[in-house]
Amino acid sequence: MTGCWDQHQLVDKTIVNGISFDLTDEGRILLKARNINIKSKGGGQFEIEDELVSAERPTMVGLSMDIDSKSAGRVDYSQTHLLLIGDELAKQGIHQTLDSFYRGKDSNIAAKIAITKGKAHDVLSTEKDKSPIAFFILQMIEGAEETTFLPEETIFNIWTKILTPGKDFILPYLEKTESDKIAIAGVALLNGDKFSGITLSKEQSTLLLLLLDRFKKTNFMSLILNPTSEDRSIAFSTRKIKRDMEITVDKTSGDITCTIDISIQVEVNSYPQNLKEDLNTKKLNKEISAGLTKQAKEITAILLEANSDVFGIEMELAKRHPDVWKKMNWDEDYKNTKIEPKVNVEIIKTGNVF
Amino acid sequence: MITKKYSITKFQLFFVLIQSQIGIGLFSLPNVVQESAKGDSWISIILAGAGVQFLLIVYLFLLKRFPDDEFAQITQKILGRTLGKIINFFFYFYFIMTGSLSTILMVKLINLQLLPITPNWMISLLILSACIYLTISNLKIIARFFVLAFTLIILLLFLTLFTLLLPQEIQFILPVGNSGIKNILIGSNSALFSMVGFEALLFLYSFIIHNNKGVLKTISLANIFVTGFYTFIVFICLISFSPDQLNLIREPLIFLFRGLSFKMFARVDLIFLSFWIVPMTTTIIAYLFLASKSLRNEEKSYKKIVVINGILIFLISLIPHTDEITNLFTKYISYLNYAVIYVIPVLLLILSIIFKKHETGETA
Repeated sequence: MTGCWDQHQLVDKTIVNGISFDLTDEGRILLKARNINIKSKGGGQFEIEDELVSAERPTMVGLSMDIDSKSAGRVDYSQTHLLLIGDELAKQGIHQTLDSFYRGKDSNIAAKIAITKGKAHDVLSTEKDKSPIAFFILQMIEGAEETTFLPEETIFNIWTKILTPGKDFILPYLEKTESDKIAIAGVALLNGDKFSGITLSKEQSTLLLLLLDRFKKTNFMSLILNPTSEDRSIAFSTRKIKRDMEITVDKTSGDITCTIDISIQVEVNSYPQNLKEDLNTKKLNKEISAGLTKQAKEITAILLEANSDVFGIEMELAKRHPDVWKKMNWDEDYKNTKIEPKVNVEIIKTGNVF
Repeated sequence: MITKKYSITKFQLFFVLIQSQIGIGLFSLPNVVQESAKGDSWISIILAGAGVQFLLIVYLFLLKRFPDDEFAQITQKILGRTLGKIINFFFYFYFIMTGSLSTILMVKLINLQLLPITPNWMISLLILSACIYLTISNLKIIARFFVLAFTLIILLLFLTLFTLLLPQEIQFILPVGNSGIKNILIGSNSALFSMVGFEALLFLYSFIIHNNKGVLKTISLANIFVTGFYTFIVFICLISFSPDQLNLIREPLIFLFRGLSFKMFARVDLIFLSFWIVPMTTTIIAYLFLASKSLRNEEKSYKKIVVINGILIFLISLIPHTDEITNLFTKYISYLNYAVIYVIPVLLLILSIIFKKHETGETA
């Protein structure tokens, strides 16, 4: 009986599978949606069309109305798997953009979210005539999550993270390359819900994710150990990780030090060395550890610069040393925190070659 | 001696109590408790469970003095005919109102999450016609259905385990005991309202076969199950959402399911909700049954009374479903709750001890 009111047919729908939000030069919000329009051809056959619809308004509110008036039938957001936000808009904050996703009952909040270099609609409108690009980007992000290049974030997850005081987060950062392809550029560092404008490269992001103890199935890293000699670069992937994080407050100076120790067990993927000799694992362990620790220090310096407290140092501090924390103005004092990362590498596998 | 035609076993009692307790209250629970107890809400639920256990023992002391009387007779025996009848009517009023509130909340939820355009009266009509159909049969059949419907609760418990795949932050509940005893107790008090339904014992006791022993064990097990279930759900919500976020979300558990996505199927919340309709309905059935039993009446007129009560609940459920009115309604029902689950049973027990009232024919 409820079918008298709540009945929706597939052929009447326009299915949105990707959305982009941008800030235009005039400060207005530009939304573009990549839709699939299903048309019934009769006889049980359907024609599927891919289209790009855009709407522009001074604020977020009402954009969906414009999209609705420009598409055939009812617009269905339940299959929206991708949300792209342009860097200019992300710098102003992303929380507002997401409100309608949380409020509405039909939106897919397990959708992936990413920040793009430049305008987000440029990325979304890539290969306009071809099959849905949103799914391509989605698969790219999912693949990168598996290999610990990108953090596993959905619209659902980041709401919790936005509203968690004392801890910031990172989002995938996409770019459009010159040959009109989409590529993962790394991760964007956020401060609260605002994009800091500072990003990490892909190599850095995978190490950061290890430091954050967010290792997934595997990852790939490479390191040039000694630039002067030929056979001194190595590629390896992590198999196992153990992390220790500790925050200490110096009683006299009040300095806060955060030490992060990670021990990773790695498998060597490529080491074009002098193949006549066996691999000196002990020596290599030391060299890789030193190299990665150096990289990790560069990363933490960038984090401090971006004012992005992704390790949740403030949160830890508020729980463990509430008296110290109350006296601080974290926005200012975070920069003075000492973060001391240390990476310990142990080679456990060397592939088919000794 | 009343007829034992519609009696239930202790095994069935376990499920009847669980089904009348677990229902719509589950969804608002994390919000309500978190308001005061914050990260220690799960302690509040355990304390509330202990409170329920205490009340159940009080009920049992009272009921053991009158093993064969229906509750409507007990009140009259202790308080006299007129006062007893007033108390009985008060219980009747409470059950009708709580039944209506459950219906309203359920309709609101379905309207919000599943069927946004279908008018409220239609959802309400569909729910209540099913409820009346089952309640009109008899206690034995209701109990059997409740046992059967329990498999759904197990299934949903299993489904809930999937939410552990989502990211969690144990920091949200640390340090334990941070909110202070006062706030935790305030939280328990609010949690108790999500656990109501156990007062059904008052009316079911005389229908239990061999009610002279072993009942305490059954009701304790039921209480442990409900408390454990609620604690688990609240705990998951607490570590999955930040405290600020929990204040914003209407039904945290459903929202948690929305965050899940699998290759094969998405929108687990809709699947969960479609199943959860049954446990929500059993609560309404329980209240409809209790309302029809709370006024002492002859077996013949029982069916008529169920239909009348059902229509009454339907009519009450037609009041506008704005948040403001529902909140007000919930508030008044909670006052009624105090009277029904604490004050009256305790008072009755004290009076029956003072005046040494027992079942007639039994030696003191």
